[in-house]
Amino acid sequence: MSIKKPQEPLITLVGPPNSGKTTLFNFLSGKKYKTVNYPGATIEYSITKFLNHFDITGNLMDSPGIVSMVPNSPDEKVTVENLIEHPEYGKPSVLVVTIDASQFSRHLLLAKQIINCGFNVIVALTMNDILEDKNLTINTDTLSDKLKCKVIKVDPRTGTGILELISEIKYTLKQERGSNINHIAFEEADIISIYKDIEEIENTVLHHTNVKKSDLENANMGLFIKGETKSLNRPDNLTMKIDSILLHKYWGIFIFASVMGVLFASIFWIASPLMELVDSGFRYLSDLIVSGHNHHWFSDLLSSGIIGGAGAVMVFLPQILILFFILGLLEDSGYLARGAMLIDKPLSKLGLNGRSFVPMLSGFACAIPAIMAARTITNKKERILTIFIIPLMSCSARLPVYGLLLTFLLPGKFLISGIILSLIYLFGILTSFVVSSVINKYQKTFIKVEDNSSFIMELPVYRIPKIGNVFKNTYDNAYQYIRKAGPTILIFSVILWALTYFPNNNPEIKNSDKMTTEQITKLIDAERISGSYASELGKFIEPVMKPLGLDWRVGVSLIATFAAREIFVSSMALIFKITDTDDNLNESLISAMRQARIGESNKPMFTTSTIAGLIIFFVFALQCISTIAITKKETGGWRIPILQLFIYSGLAYFFAFVVVNGLQFLGVN
Amino acid sequence: MTIADLDSGQRATIKRIDLSHPSSFRVIEYGFTPGQEIEIINKSIFNDPLAVSLRGALIAIRRNDARCIEVML
Repeated sequence: MSIKKPQEPLITLVGPPNSGKTTLFNFLSGKKYKTVNYPGATIEYSITKFLNHFDITGNLMDSPGIVSMVPNSPDEKVTVENLIEHPEYGKPSVLVVTIDASQFSRHLLLAKQIINCGFNVIVALTMNDILEDKNLTINTDTLSDKLKCKVIKVDPRTGTGILELISEIKYTLKQERGSNINHIAFEEADIISIYKDIEEIENTVLHHTNVKKSDLENANMGLFIKGETKSLNRPDNLTMKIDSILLHKYWGIFIFASVMGVLFASIFWIASPLMELVDSGFRYLSDLIVSGHNHHWFSDLLSSGIIGGAGAVMVFLPQILILFFILGLLEDSGYLARGAMLIDKPLSKLGLNGRSFVPMLSGFACAIPAIMAARTITNKKERILTIFIIPLMSCSARLPVYGLLLTFLLPGKFLISGIILSLIYLFGILTSFVVSSVINKYQKTFIKVEDNSSFIMELPVYRIPKIGNVFKNTYDNAYQYIRKAGPTILIFSVILWALTYFPNNNPEIKNSDKMTTEQITKLIDAERISGSYASELGKFIEPVMKPLGLDWRVGVSLIATFAAREIFVSSMALIFKITDTDDNLNESLISAMRQARIGESNKPMFTTSTIAGLIIFFVFALQCISTIAITKKETGGWRIPILQLFIYSGLAYFFAFVVVNGLQFLGVN
Repeated sequence: MTIADLDSGQRATIKRIDLSHPSSFRVIEYGFTPGQEIEIINKSIFNDPLAVSLRGALIAIRRNDARCIEVML
């Protein structure tokens, strides 16, 4: 029998969003913490120890920001329940509630609720400088009396007040007051009466500081004097000035579009050379292993399977880093909330939220960072709905495929190809609207979440982003991607490799005298895949491919594309035994495709109708194991990714079938 | 009259909250309580959501959610 270790006390930080909670947490932990999920949920919290010099033995937990102890969504319910008693760390010995002093009356609601629940509470008052800019100050002693708990002014950016906070935490821990926690069910009337109390408290603790500004400003400040604060307490002046431009009815949307344009350009074009760098780095590594081993299966497993798989994980890293860095800057400065407000209306019609916009836009570069970016959507229904439609945004990996197919269809006609390409993108967007509306209508059946769709959020005061926090947040997201989605992607990559490699792993090449080594290698690769399990699988699914006017060879390529969509081109090249080098691979592949016949017959396989069908197939089909892996991680289960896989594959097949046969019926071959 | 009926720049005092509205609880939690003064600071391009000044903060709120906040000028 194991003896249960006496549990270390738990000190939890709680606070409304934007109350400086995470900055305080970073200060106390020295930014060394691990981010974990609540058991059975996708909501993240951070857990750590105090920095040594604070001399506190105990666990320090940072909880997700909440407005009130009354949960408003499934996610908030988990947050509140875990706050009261965490399954692993137990009940908190001390709750430190952070309150933004400039948002005093609104943020005090949570503190009052938590005190009423019976926790041992210390209130940490942050952002006092913003209040002082308005010539106001809070008397902490009076506030402590009124709240019957210790109130301390802190500034976690400079460390002011931290020592006092630490000694108060130690003092409370020493008291060993068992916290007697009742989970009180608050009703509307309770909240209103708490606010009444707060207004009274505000009148006694909020004081006008000594006048030191110019007379003119004083005249303005007269509006904010105690007693009248209740009647006219306007937001920060600078914020109001900036918002008169950034939230301007017409300029606002124009600026938003420009900011989003820069964001999109960064994840699309700036990331692309970096991705190529990662890709070629891994290819170099894999070549290094193969050279001198003469294609033994084990060295191929190492080089193509494992290193190739690791490359498939790491290749998304530049996009994830760039996206989350820019997103962090926008969030920290206070702009992201405004952007969400500007674009909320049209998206709300589809059951989405203003915050769905950035993830959807990012989806055009790559679904992986996009699905991760959906975390900023607090409403669970809207988050899952956003994740659900992201795969329909035409990601950059589909471009080479469309490129090949359009060149086949319209050789040399760049203008028309360009127009058709835009139509393909538009088609994906329109479909995502339809899918979103339908899923939203039947949300109970599909996503099993019913959240009251509402949009109420604080537009925080504009601040200069804290670069350190932004970097840390970017690093966290990248680390989580590698740790949580990485293994799944790697395992599937190895399985896919094995399928395309065995059992014909060492084919013999005849008449190889006149060929270069490179050509021989390519021919070996081609022979190997023709005799592989994947090709057997391709032949097995040939009855499914036939109605689309295609045969097993395309089937194998479609299976191989699950590693990444752009692989379609190279696997088609393999299967059609193209031995040319990369430079004119597309050209020789296209001429090989023109000569391809269905089975023993004389009918060409690739015609206008079958190619159009293939394009439609790629618009819908969810052929990307990385997307499936990340969706599983972000939605907390297999339900959503499997649903997506079936719905999108079904749609892909159905529409491809309709297009191929419809065109053939109309006489288009 | 509710907040949703106000124009940009208009100020009003909250009279009561319509508790039958599904968003009423959330609205109260954010500090929209009777007696508070509010001001419409901005409206988004589609006239929705609204940016409302309340208790020294700027709150973005959808018109639909704002409909449960009854005000008097």
